[in-house]
Amino acid sequence: MNSASKVMVGRVGKGSAYLDLSQALSGILLSLFMLGHTLFVFGIVFGAKFFDQVAGFLESTNLAQIGGPIVGLIFLVHFILAARKIPFTTKEQKIVWRQALMLKHSDTWLWLVQVITGMLLLLLGSIHVWVILNDLPITALKSKELVQSGLWLYFNLLFLFSVALHLGIGLYRVGAKWGFVTRSNRFQVKKVIWGLIGGLILLDLISLFRFYFL
Amino acid sequence: MPRMLQFNIFRYNPQDEDSKPHMQTFYLEETPNLNLFIALNKIREEQDPSLQFDFCCRAAICGACAMVINGKPSLACKTKTKDLPDQINLLPLPGFKLVGDLSVDTGSWFRSMNERVKAWVHQDKEFDPTAEEERMDNSLAEKIYELDRCIECGCCIAACATAQMRSDFLGAVALNRVARFILDPRDKRTEKEYFEIIGTDQGIFGCMGLLACEDVCPKNIPLQDQLGYLRRKMGLGAVKNYLFWRKEK
Ligand code: SF4
Ligand code: SF4
Ligand code: FES
Repeated sequence: MNSASKVMVGRVGKGSAYLDLSQALSGILLSLFMLGHTLFVFGIVFGAKFFDQVAGFLESTNLAQIGGPIVGLIFLVHFILAARKIPFTTKEQKIVWRQALMLKHSDTWLWLVQVITGMLLLLLGSIHVWVILNDLPITALKSKELVQSGLWLYFNLLFLFSVALHLGIGLYRVGAKWGFVTRSNRFQVKKVIWGLIGGLILLDLISLFRFYFL
Repeated sequence: MPRMLQFNIFRYNPQDEDSKPHMQTFYLEETPNLNLFIALNKIREEQDPSLQFDFCCRAAICGACAMVINGKPSLACKTKTKDLPDQINLLPLPGFKLVGDLSVDTGSWFRSMNERVKAWVHQDKEFDPTAEEERMDNSLAEKIYELDRCIECGCCIAACATAQMRSDFLGAVALNRVARFILDPRDKRTEKEYFEIIGTDQGIFGCMGLLACEDVCPKNIPLQDQLGYLRRKMGLGAVKNYLFWRKEK
């Protein structure tokens, strides 16, 4: 805490407050989008025709063309905001590791999982968005190729686990930070969150499986 | 058969140039109701008089004996060996200046923290020593007392990854203290003044919600709920008072 007491004397801007709020809001928006996305992809279970119809609807209404880039933008903004809290310097990383290893504390580990999946998502998400939006319209046939060819199956597996974990843990932590997850409901909420993560993974796995054998 | 306990204790004396940080092992036979306060004193008396550690009240009141016990910051005097495995690892609290071995200087840190959040009741009236003390509703007094129970042991700071990473982060103890003064009707500070103390990345917006503080606090202070409350109050306050605070400049 050294000499920082002097810094406090000056005016304090509201920047931190807005940035923190935006981080939470962008995360919530992305979570909602992802829930919708999971359901959309799950449509394949009802057959390629149904899937193509839904995809066609999203495109004819321009939801995909306009919504896609907007989501992409929120995605980037969310990363930049969240990155302010990520330990980037080697010194910070060392401290965090030492801390996590010393302290046998599950929530600290959950946060590390979130940092790592966050980084992965930046990479995997960018590739995914690039590939899909550059090759509109979305059809079951093309998606099928994106699952069956080359390493894409592994890409999708890694992707879906990262998304589910990041989303679930993220929602839990937003709740904890902003006082919706309290001492009295924390462990119940945690159970619900694990259910959500499991549910998302299950739905996505079913969809993936379906595409694989389409 | 009493257990033979193995203590692995961090040793380092910063005063001594030849001293290097290392772990030293001691053995002690477990006795009924043994706690770490008694165990460490026995080790010092019978095995190594140079072992440094702090104690004062031995009743979980003064906060001097906090250390990392098998990976968890806690009070040594409050920790019974029967709740621990045969192997007990003791480290000094990280994040504070090391005095030697298990002893750290939490005092300077807490003093500067208290100055930084101006941890006293701010009144606008002149103090009248003859006047009767103002009355306070009992339930409110209890609410304030609940937060005032903090013994400044430093466990929440040692457990907090944010505090370890960023030395200027206020930490749960300071944020809890501010929450305590916000509750207190005798403190006349405005929301804006509180915001200037904690509405930053060194304050409430730096907290990552890891809840380690909540999970280790030996006095079981509701830290999680205070942090959530402050974030909402400060975050939404900033939005709500957007125009208002701007004008005031
Ligand atoms: S919630 Fe986490 S980051 Fe916030 S003060 Fe507590 S331990 Fe530190
Ligand atoms: S809040 Fe709890 S853990 Fe932190 S200093 Fe006070 S008593 Fe210790
Ligand atoms: S000796 Fe005072 S709290 Fe342990």
